[in-house]
Amino acid sequence: MPLKRSWGHGQVLASLFLIGALFTTPPMSVQAASQTLVEDGTGGMTRAVNRMVGGIVSYARWPEAAPPGGRVMCVVGAPRLSDRMAPDLPGPGAVTVRRMTAATVTPECDILFLGRMPVADRRQLIAWVRGRPILTITDDDAACIYGAMFCLNNRAASLSFSVNLDAIGRGPLRIDPRVLRIGHGEGGAS
Amino acid sequence: MTSQTPPPVERIGARTTLQKLLSRFHFGITLFAVALSGLTILLAGVTALRGYADRNIELAAQLGAYGVEPALVFNDPQAVREGLEPLTRIPGIARLRVLNDVGRPVTEWTSPATDPAPILTRIFFPRPFAVTVQRNGSAIGTVEVWGDSSTLIDYVRLGLLAGLGCLLVTAFGTIFLARRFEYELVKPLNEIATVAHDVRLHRRFDKRVQPLGISELDRLGGDINALLDELQGWQGHMESEHAMLAHRASHDPLTAMPNRAAFDEQLTLRIEAAAGRSGRFALLFIDADNFKAANDNFGHAAGDAVLVALSARIKETLRKGDFAARIGGDEFIVIIDPLDNETRAESLVNRIRGSVAEPVSLPGGETYRAAVSVGVAIFPDNGSNATTLLTAADAAMYADKMTSRSK
Repeated sequence: MPLKRSWGHGQVLASLFLIGALFTTPPMSVQAASQTLVEDGTGGMTRAVNRMVGGIVSYARWPEAAPPGGRVMCVVGAPRLSDRMAPDLPGPGAVTVRRMTAATVTPECDILFLGRMPVADRRQLIAWVRGRPILTITDDDAACIYGAMFCLNNRAASLSFSVNLDAIGRGPLRIDPRVLRIGHGEGGAS
Repeated sequence: MTSQTPPPVERIGARTTLQKLLSRFHFGITLFAVALSGLTILLAGVTALRGYADRNIELAAQLGAYGVEPALVFNDPQAVREGLEPLTRIPGIARLRVLNDVGRPVTEWTSPATDPAPILTRIFFPRPFAVTVQRNGSAIGTVEVWGDSSTLIDYVRLGLLAGLGCLLVTAFGTIFLARRFEYELVKPLNEIATVAHDVRLHRRFDKRVQPLGISELDRLGGDINALLDELQGWQGHMESEHAMLAHRASHDPLTAMPNRAAFDEQLTLRIEAAAGRSGRFALLFIDADNFKAANDNFGHAAGDAVLVALSARIKETLRKGDFAARIGGDEFIVIIDPLDNETRAESLVNRIRGSVAEPVSLPGGETYRAAVSVGVAIFPDNGSNATTLLTAADAAMYADKMTSRSK
């Protein structure tokens, strides 16, 4: 009798754990969500991208405080959505943008913006980033499956971003859960 | 003395009982108190609740601001709506609106529930709560929250219901208290009234109000008792005066024997009684012999003494039911009633004669032997009414006097 009961307990616990796991960490942890409105006219998309990148940056928390010159964003490859990358931070502060090649990326980059680039380079950079406090954003991975934390995506004249929870979970960066939720929100639909 | 009757006291048309009056007063006072306290509590409660509702809405607005902040940063209306989602489940919120940094509405939500009391809403939530959404110190939008009365209305409804319940309890309590109060107050009053009534109707001047628990009423009772004491005194005095007057009217002041008037009355009564039972009685007419001479020889004081002695001796010889009266200067009447077969009038007459013949000591020291002439008349043998009986007795006495003179 006690044996049976303990087995019952175990079963219940296991079920609960399974259910919890199902709900907390979806097996496919890549989501597309946001639907930022893009203004019409020339530069509308650029402004939207800059605003989105700035927003994402502002909700990221690095283990160390920002250097006096602000965070450094290293742009590697060719950005698809905007050729003038200048993240628009809400409030005071600014992000320094540096263009680099996959080979010259240094650990002083706080943010790595991955544009269009060879698959091998991207894989190498993602591997290099792993474990470092570096925020990775790409605009060349609509499904957000290649390891960048945030993936920008333009669909039907609007801009959205997706979140790769696995990538974020592996790194030491902390992202505001509200942003994760926005990136998560309509995930199922896309 | 002008015996003018005092003007009649004006009476109030519709009378009310003390209980009704008390209960009306009690109810009025208690109603006022309950209404006042109830209103105070209700107002205090509404004010406090309004404070909570305000705080609730403020917190909701802040929650909304927190929730929609990244959505505003990303300029994402869909996310803004999602950020507001938790607020739509908070009761007491009628409408939500989010404005962006340039004041343009980003999203808006109106509660599907209808406002239960628009007036309350207008009074308590005339303006929306606006919370500025800030990101790194700069305003990026505004969240506006309109409250509605749904949280207040329950309290107000409950408060009014409780107030009504209180009122009901109060009404019953008041009736009970008034009954009790009435009992406490009306019982002693009734006691006083009963005494007054008894005194007025049955002339029971010996009645007194018992000591009462309420000091004012006790004082009233005491005053009434004092008044009754006085009344009783007057009554007693009047009765004795009356008795004295009555005695004086029917009795001879010198010998204290009944007088002529009393005798006439008595005779009529005895005739009626004897006729009723077919009985007999004797009427003795007694006259002192030579009384005028004694009066002249020894003086009036001596005459009076003789009369007093005569009356005393006549009274001595009488039986219990008999009656003697002095009807003139030296004339006495005796009614021997009843006169049965054993009682002989003659023997009685002789006893009187013997008793009277005892010497009388006069104030001057002399002694006097009185003699009387006695005439007897028997009812109904010698007459069946007062006049004939008296006439017969008088005649018999006169005959007796003649006989004794001629001796």
